[in-house]
Formats: sequence, C-alpha cells, structure tokens
Amino acid sequence: MQVTLKIFRYNPETDKKPHYETYTVEAEPTDRVLDLLEKVKGEQDGTLTFRRSCAHGVCGSDAMRINGVNRLACKVLVQDLGTNRITVEPLLGLPTIKDLVVDMEPFFEHYRSVKPYFINNDPPPKKERLQSPEERARFDDTTKCILCGACTTSCPSFWLDDQYVGPAAIVNAHRFIFDSRDQGAEERLKILADQFGVFRCHTIFNCTLACPREIQITRAIGEVRKAIATGRLD
Amino acid sequence: MTLPRRVPLSAALRYRGGGPMWAWILHRISGLSMIIFVALHVLAGFGIQQLGSDWAIWYNTLYESLAFQLFIYFCVIFHAVNGLRIIILDTWPALIKFQREFIWLEWAIVLPVYALTAWIMIQNSLGG
Ligand code: HEM
Ligand code: HEM
Ligand code: SF4
Ligand code: FES
Repeated sequence: MQVTLKIFRYNPETDKKPHYETYTVEAEPTDRVLDLLEKVKGEQDGTLTFRRSCAHGVCGSDAMRINGVNRLACKVLVQDLGTNRITVEPLLGLPTIKDLVVDMEPFFEHYRSVKPYFINNDPPPKKERLQSPEERARFDDTTKCILCGACTTSCPSFWLDDQYVGPAAIVNAHRFIFDSRDQGAEERLKILADQFGVFRCHTIFNCTLACPREIQITRAIGEVRKAIATGRLD
Repeated sequence: MTLPRRVPLSAALRYRGGGPMWAWILHRISGLSMIIFVALHVLAGFGIQQLGSDWAIWYNTLYESLAFQLFIYFCVIFHAVNGLRIIILDTWPALIKFQREFIWLEWAIVLPVYALTAWIMIQNSLGG
C-alpha cells in the first residue's frame, strides 16, 4: 500500500520557521511508523532527523506525536492507525532542536528532582533485603517506565508551565515511595507536595492514555497525592 | 536556534487526548463562564435597581433569553456532574481503573437531565 507521510521539519541552521514536508512511501500494513521514517531517511531525504535506538519499545528514545497523539514510532503499526495518511510531529512542551528531536533535558531535570534511586541508611544485611510478594506487587506497575517522556509531554498542565514536575517524575517517585525496603518516602513526598508537584494534576488522563507501557499513571499520581494528604502509605 | 517550548492553543487543541481531555476543557470553560456570568449578573441586578442603567437592562435581556439560559444551564449541570466525577476519582484512586466507565456514566446522567430540563424550558418559553 501507499502511505502519505506528513512530517514536521525544522533545521536550526537554515530555517526561521518550521514547516511540513510530505513524502509518499510504499509500506506493508505490518510496518512500524519507525520503518517508514527510516525509509524516508534512507531513500528520499537523508537530512530527516529523529531519535531511535532499540526499535523494540524498550529504550524510550522515539516518542513523538503520531496522528496527533504521543506514541513510540517503533510500537505503532501502519494498520493500527486505520488510515494511510500519517502525520508525524515532535513532542509538545519541550524545545525542538531539529525535526523530530526535542531537548529532553527539562524532562530529566524533573526526573532527577524526585530522587529516583534507592535510599536506605541501615547497614546492608548479609544477604538480600527481603520483601514479600505482596510488598513487591505494591509498586510493580511503576517499575515499567522507560522514560520516553510521552506522558509528561501529553499533559496540558505541563504545556502551560514546565515547572510542573510532570507525570513521569511522579511515576518514578511512586516506584520508590511504595517500596517497603526504601526509607526516602518522606523526603520525596515533601518534594511532591510543592506547588509544582502532584497538585498540578487535574485528572485529565492524557498521560495514562499516552503511556506505551500501559502504566496506570493517573492512579499512581492519585496514590501519591493521597499519601501526602493522609500522611499514610497504605 | 532551538524552537521555544511554548505550546500554542491551536497545537494543544489538536492533541487527540479524547473524552477525558474534552471533559477537562469543558470543565474549565463552564467554570469560568459561571464565574463571569454570576459577577455580571450581580452587577446588573445592582445596576437595574439602583441606577436604572441601559447596560444593565441590555445584559438582563441577554441572560433572560432562552439561548443564554440553555447555555448557562448546561454549564451548571455539566460542571456539577463532572466535578463529582473528579472528586470521586481523586479521593479513591483505586477507582481510576474504571475511568472510562465513569466518563460514560457521567454523560448518561448529564444528557438526559439536560435534555429533560431543556425541553421544559423550551415549552415554558413557547407557552409565554
Ligand atoms: C440564566 C439563568 C438565570 C437567571 C435568568 C437568573 C435570574 C436571577 C434573578 C432574577 C435574580 C434576582 C436578582 C435581584 O433580585 O436583584 C438572581 C439572583 C442571583 N442569582 Fe441568578 N439567574 C440565573 C442563573 C444563575 C446561576 C447559574 C447562578 C450561580 C452559579 C446564579 C446566582 C445568583 C446569585 C448569587 C443571585 C443573588 C445576587 C443578587 O441578588 O444580585 N444565578 N438571578
Ligand atoms: C455542584 C457544584 C460544583 C462542583 C461539584 C464543582 C467541582 C469542581 C472541581 C472538582 C473542580 C476542580 C477541577 C480540577 O481539578 O481541574 C472545580 C473547578 C472550578 N470550578 Fe467548580 N464545582 C461546582 C460549582 C462551581 C460553580 C457554581 C462555579 C462558578 C460560579 C465553579 C467554578 C469553578 C472554576 C472557575 C474552577 C476552576 C476550573 C479549572 O481549574 O479548570 N464551580 N469545580
Ligand atoms: S510513565 Fe509511560 S509514558 Fe511516562 S515516561 Fe514512563 S514509559 Fe513513558
Ligand atoms: S526505538 Fe527504543 S523505544 Fe522505540
């Protein structure tokens, strides 16, 4: 089948303003959108710039807007889109460096701000730190994040103000806050109780619907918010 | 140079967030509409009674018109039911796994209640 790709283009060295370029490519219904981008770059226009690494939905580098909604280009098949006209644009709310490549630094800065690492000041035990299957299950959902940024850049609160810590940072805080072996919950809850923390969330659900790992993000945010409001971690 | 991060309203509205995103946009529009309406409403009441001003009479005529009442009544009923949905989901995050069902339930309440009341309002206005 023939697919028409409309791609957002911006070259910082020659362009004053971004524009859209249209390409026609031959595709199988089972091709991924990433395959089409590779095809355009390899056969029609070598200057097309985008990020990708694993091409299998694990590295989180190719989140972009595909037909108006955030997706991993390597996880969307042409047949999933139900049309042969595909529009590809960079993520919203982060500075665009070139074509489909955005500056992820503001995103990672928020990620780092919630201390996304294990905190426990007790001397390490001889063997592992034990945890029951139930305690492990408590934060299982939020361990799945690959830091693609699809959630944070789908959020209207983040579009309005990038000081908002954003769903991805809250997801990664949730992963440690509800881990029975970790002792940093109090610190992290304090950070997230800030005016640019969890209370910027308006329960809009764009993040949950955008997440390629199907993490229940709005629920995780709700649980953190509740922990702040009640002072309890149950 | 890097393009600034600013998200124009047109780009934001083109994002296909679906039902929940539109519910949020309508919630904001209805909330702001009610605030503006009530403020002008109180001012106009004062204007008519104390000053007899033309502006207040014009505004009174506007909001007593059927179209305007249908609009502000939609704002009231939608904002109230959607607000309850948000309060319930914010208070019990475990219910968020039913968020799609909540959106359906919300419209299943708003649309019949609105249609019935609108029908009565239209009947009354036609009956004089
Ligand atoms: C189109 C629909 C509406 C009409 C025709 C209407 C009409 C009126 C009238 C005739 C009064 C008495 C004013 C006076 O005696 O000075 C009044 C008072 C008032 N209404 Fe409404 N109303 C409407 C909708 C609303 C809504 C939706 C709200 C709240 C969200 C509201 C809030 C109030 C308040 C706070 C007052 C007392 C203020 C005052 O006395 O000046 N109204 N309204
Ligand atoms: C049954 C009555 C009402 C309920 C249950 C309700 C509920 C809510 C809730 C839960 C929010 C927060 C939404 C969010 O987190 O984004 C909200 C926001 C708001 N409400 Fe109401 N509300 C009610 C009546 C009213 C009335 C009468 C007005 C105006 C006169 C109003 C104006 C607003 C405004 C301006 C906002 C901010 C909008 C936003 O942040 O998007 N509300 N309401
Ligand atoms: S929570 Fe999901 S959408 Fe957000 S960064 Fe992690 S994997 Fe991406
Ligand atoms: S290229 Fe690694 S997630 Fe898509």
